[in-house]
Amino acid sequence: MQEINFLYIFQGIATMVASDPIIVFARIVLILLGIAFVYLGAKGTLEPLIMIPMGVGMSSVNAAVLYLSETTMGTIFLDPMASEPSQLMDVLQINFLQPIYTFTFSNGLIACLVFMGIGVITDIGYMLISPFRSMFIALCAELGTLLTFPIAVAMGLTYKEAASIAMVGGADGPMVLYTSLILAKDIFVPITIVAYLYLSLTYAGYPYLIRLMVPKHLRGIKMDPKQIPSFTKAEKMTFAVISCTLLCLLLPVAAPLFMSFFLGIIIRESDVKPFVEFISGPVLYGSTFFLGLLLGVLCEAATILNPKVILLLFLGITALLISGIGGIIGGYIVYWTSGRSYNPVIGIAGVSCVPTTAKVAQKEARDANKFAMILPWAMGANICGVITSAIIAAVYVTLLR
Amino acid sequence: MEYFLGSVKIMLIVYGLSAFIAMLVAGIIKLIFAGIRRQRVSAAAKVDAAVNSSSMPANSEPGKAA
Repeated sequence: MQEINFLYIFQGIATMVASDPIIVFARIVLILLGIAFVYLGAKGTLEPLIMIPMGVGMSSVNAAVLYLSETTMGTIFLDPMASEPSQLMDVLQINFLQPIYTFTFSNGLIACLVFMGIGVITDIGYMLISPFRSMFIALCAELGTLLTFPIAVAMGLTYKEAASIAMVGGADGPMVLYTSLILAKDIFVPITIVAYLYLSLTYAGYPYLIRLMVPKHLRGIKMDPKQIPSFTKAEKMTFAVISCTLLCLLLPVAAPLFMSFFLGIIIRESDVKPFVEFISGPVLYGSTFFLGLLLGVLCEAATILNPKVILLLFLGITALLISGIGGIIGGYIVYWTSGRSYNPVIGIAGVSCVPTTAKVAQKEARDANKFAMILPWAMGANICGVITSAIIAAVYVTLLR
Repeated sequence: MEYFLGSVKIMLIVYGLSAFIAMLVAGIIKLIFAGIRRQRVSAAAKVDAAVNSSSMPANSEPGKAA
């Protein structure tokens, strides 16, 4: 009887036995990390929409390494580095997630679809309450996006890599993905993973920053609801169409992002219910699901063991921290210039993680004073943050591409 | 060192350009809404004038009163 080689049957284990000890260690750590992401996502500590599919993808891909030939190991999930047409044709027929990766992820389409969904769920009216103030706060909250750039260069990254990781300061996942895909394709996987990991932590981390920088009596400042003007749908659509055209004209390199975002807003305001339901439901949630899953699957030990990952982890948290501080400083400047009637906590909402940072600002204000309602202003700063992030991404890409 | 100074220069250019474009967008919003408000006010004034003229009694016209 022919002898059965059990290691040949259980190739996930066989590849572990045959791999370099560092790779084996990284695979085990990533499997456990993936399981932890699922747990923390389900518990609500991390963003469940991204973290649950990402965690499952991460643990599965690191467990499912097999022998693709006598000498090469790999998975049948996807190959992010396949670029030659013939090689791509081969892997498209073998790797089950390759079609989604090639046709939606590596060309930035998934980022645009998420952006379109964000547009549909965004009420642009909030931004129109006080556009200059909101835009000023959003610019202050981009401090991390700017200061991290020279810091990253000083730590040895190239301009393109530095700009990509600096975009984490904008706290906008699709924007980081879009920028790093264009500027730093070799390290876009770790950059995007670092970005999404930290973005889901803003909900947990920023409240402490607010409490540290803003005393309780200022956190509880009530905003005057009479300041909120009403806008018709036609007015909002006029603004969206003009802004979209202008931004596309000025910065064509980010036109797909601008168009997607403003198209979402226009669809929302035009009240075409089937489109609104389609984009805010299947498109947004479908894109977010596959984004999370693909990010998880891209977390293969061999890809993550890039020596730059530790550096990227440090720079990512630095960018987010500086942006948060910048946003609150912006809030303070508006507080002083407005005759001390503006709640400085709104500053944190300039960090454009829609709508997380606006919700964090509202929660902190309400904890300090149960009658404090700042959400409309916070949402205004939040939406301006999305626009300024897209502008900064476009300027970086135009200058450095 | 030169490479680092170059990055500082790029950072300042990026911030300057971004701030200019962002404020341009904010300015456009203000302009659009200033125009819309003006239109609303003039439309409301026209409606008021029409209502006033139609609600005025016929003999209250200056020519007829005399």
